Amino acid sequence: MKSAKDLKLGERAIIKDIDNDHPSSRRIMELGFTPGQEIVMLGSTVFNDPIALSVRGTIIAIRIKEAACIKI
Amino acid sequence: MKDILTENKVSLITLVGPPNSGKTTLFNQLSGKNYKTVNYPGSTVEYSISRILNKYSINANILDSPGIISLLPSSPDEKISVDSLFSHPKFGVPDIVVVTVDASQLSRHLYLVNQLINSNFRVVVALTMNDLLKRKGYQVSVQKLSSILNCEVIKVNGKSGEGIDELIKAIGRQLKNNSYEEGRAEISFNNSSHDLLGSYKKIETIENEVLISAGVDDKNGTIDIEKLNEKLVVLNSGRSFARPDEFTLKLDKIILHKYFGLLIFFVFMSLTFTSIFWLAEPAMEVINELFSYLSEEAAAIAGDGWFGNLISNGIINGVGSVLVFLPQILILFLILGLLEDSGYLARGAMLIDKPLSKIGLNGKSFVPLLSGFACAIPAIMATRTIANKRERLLTIFIIPLMSCSARLPIYALLIAFLMPSDKPWLGGIVLAFIYLFGILSSLLISSLANKFSKNILKVKDNSSFILELPAYRIPSLITVITRTFNNAKQYILKAGHVILYLSVILWFLTYFPDTNPDIQIEGKTEDEIIQLKNSERISNSYAADLGKFIEPVMKPMGMDWRIGVSLISAFAAREVFVSAMALIFKITDDEDNLQNSLLESMKSAEIEGTGIKLFTTATTTGLIVFFVFAMQCLSTVAISRKETGSWRIPLLQIFVFTAIAYLLTLITVNGLRAFGIN
Ligand SMILES: Nc1nc2c(ncn2[C@@H]2O[C@H](COP(=O)(O)OP(=O)(O)OP(=O)(O)O)[C@@H](O)[C@H]2O)c(=O)[nH]1
Ligand SMILES: [Mg+2]
Repeated sequence: MKSAKDLKLGERAIIKDIDNDHPSSRRIMELGFTPGQEIVMLGSTVFNDPIALSVRGTIIAIRIKEAACIKI
Repeated sequence: MKDILTENKVSLITLVGPPNSGKTTLFNQLSGKNYKTVNYPGSTVEYSISRILNKYSINANILDSPGIISLLPSSPDEKISVDSLFSHPKFGVPDIVVVTVDASQLSRHLYLVNQLINSNFRVVVALTMNDLLKRKGYQVSVQKLSSILNCEVIKVNGKSGEGIDELIKAIGRQLKNNSYEEGRAEISFNNSSHDLLGSYKKIETIENEVLISAGVDDKNGTIDIEKLNEKLVVLNSGRSFARPDEFTLKLDKIILHKYFGLLIFFVFMSLTFTSIFWLAEPAMEVINELFSYLSEEAAAIAGDGWFGNLISNGIINGVGSVLVFLPQILILFLILGLLEDSGYLARGAMLIDKPLSKIGLNGKSFVPLLSGFACAIPAIMATRTIANKRERLLTIFIIPLMSCSARLPIYALLIAFLMPSDKPWLGGIVLAFIYLFGILSSLLISSLANKFSKNILKVKDNSSFILELPAYRIPSLITVITRTFNNAKQYILKAGHVILYLSVILWFLTYFPDTNPDIQIEGKTEDEIIQLKNSERISNSYAADLGKFIEPVMKPMGMDWRIGVSLISAFAAREVFVSAMALIFKITDDEDNLQNSLLESMKSAEIEGTGIKLFTTATTTGLIVFFVFAMQCLSTVAISRKETGSWRIPLLQIFVFTAIAYLLTLITVNGLRAFGIN
């Protein structure tokens, strides 16, 4: 299954599921990443990590490792 | 709960809300205080209390709290925050909770509101940032939201004061309201992700219902066919309220660009540090002249006995020699303030998360480390936003290595000594280099400490970086300038006290016992006689006795007891070093300005009885190196103890950093000498 970390710059996707096993998964959901929401990959850094995702009208920077539990 | 108002009890109102939702702005408005509000999530780290201003005629205290995302904490510090909400150890249980909700972030921020209502708090919702939502063409129907949530909802703007009166009225109504059940249900909701998703589903329907087009009149509720159509059109146009701020999206194309982002980061950082030197030059000149004028006048009026000497040398020069650097400190605070308020810092944190994580830190260490350049004390407090314990301790550990503003006067003096005075830009470059050196060394020390601590602690480690990037805004110049001046005032007050007392003590130690030395007067000018007398007096003083005691430690570094005494006094607070130097070395009293005459006497100072110059390129560079590393600030030690909860880190800081400072100074001085640089 693809996840948010596979998104290219400017690419959109709808969240299908949040991987419950990751220790940060609850916080990720509490921040508004819930199934059904649209996310857009807005940018990154020279190091390609973290990435900036837009969700519910805000922008959230998140490490690749943590973005991996946002399934799309 | 009985009627609080008739009991004449002071009620407690707690401001709660997600990070960056406008709590502190509202708190400032209600309390008349001026606490730090910046466009960075997590700028408030501690509960702070104040009486609500009399003009609002409500007998209550208001409590500002650190931003929380949920009542289920994710880190120990968040847990303390949340626990304090249910019952603060000092301030007790809140009578009313005012939740700030960013209107442009409705669906995310209502999540916390739901949790608070479910936990049986008396909730009043303060809807902030309505101006931002309006820019997207929407507004929130207060009536609808209020009836759905079954609690009062008030639109406010903490910046302009709009809606504050209504908020107060609503708070008053709720205080009188007896219909609440007693008792708080601590986390009466379930932790499961199923509940969480259910809660969000509910919120999404609420959002769809209460968001209406900005053109509709929410109050009188008249059904205007044209407006109603407009409303339907907007709601069907693909949830455009769910898009971030347009301006922010555009700017982020550049700031979060792979390569430009890095470039901009370096430009910002280097401009910050080099402008400290360049921009401050003219203002420093003025202060310099002023204090040397004052000192001369005082000497002329009070005579050249011990009293005149105390006033002109002990007090005026001592204080002046430090205040001279106020312009530089002001500029540093101003630039940091502008960066903070624009919303850039969160992006900076994101940009260097990866490299910082390699050495055991976190992107969230960036803002604390950066504020460490102003002062280590607020910087250490700011580390509370770092959820991971190991990363937080490591950040606290290396913060004292950032060149705080108290080191600026020292570097400025020593650089001025090293560099030709006709090329001020050279000084800027050297200063930038010192900063860079400090940063690089701290990174090295951090990575070493990280390796070390991993082996010792072997803690299970859930390192995480999730940070909300706030919308950009033009920094509010008034806020930034007020805050800069407040910071400067604090600096002056602190410096004023410490330096005043220490200057007088030091002056005493350098003046007494006032032996009247025998000097060969013949064939000497009056100036020369005074100079001789002064240097005789100092070398027989109590300070000299003290200094000679530690001279064995100073000698290997090519320094003597006079620098030793200055260094010892700098352990109370670093900036005292300069006024100590001014007292000990400013022997001549000529027309020149304060700094120049100190520089002159530094140039002519010799190690007693040897004829070898005391301040050479080698020893002065060595001194700079010493100040880069040495842990010399008592207040930092205290806050480090408080925030880490034990003496381990502060003691490590004192011993490790001071040992490094001594060793490297030793190596620098003797290394330079070995290369023929004296
Ligand atoms: N446009 C607009 N900006 C606001 C409003 N209220 C606050 N702000 C700005 O929002 C930013 C954050 O405000 P703060 O009061 O520091 O937020 P906070 O909730 O205390 O944040 P933390 O302490 O980090 O949890 C600041 O730059 C404020 O100037 C508002 O009604 N409209
Ligand atoms: Mg705050």
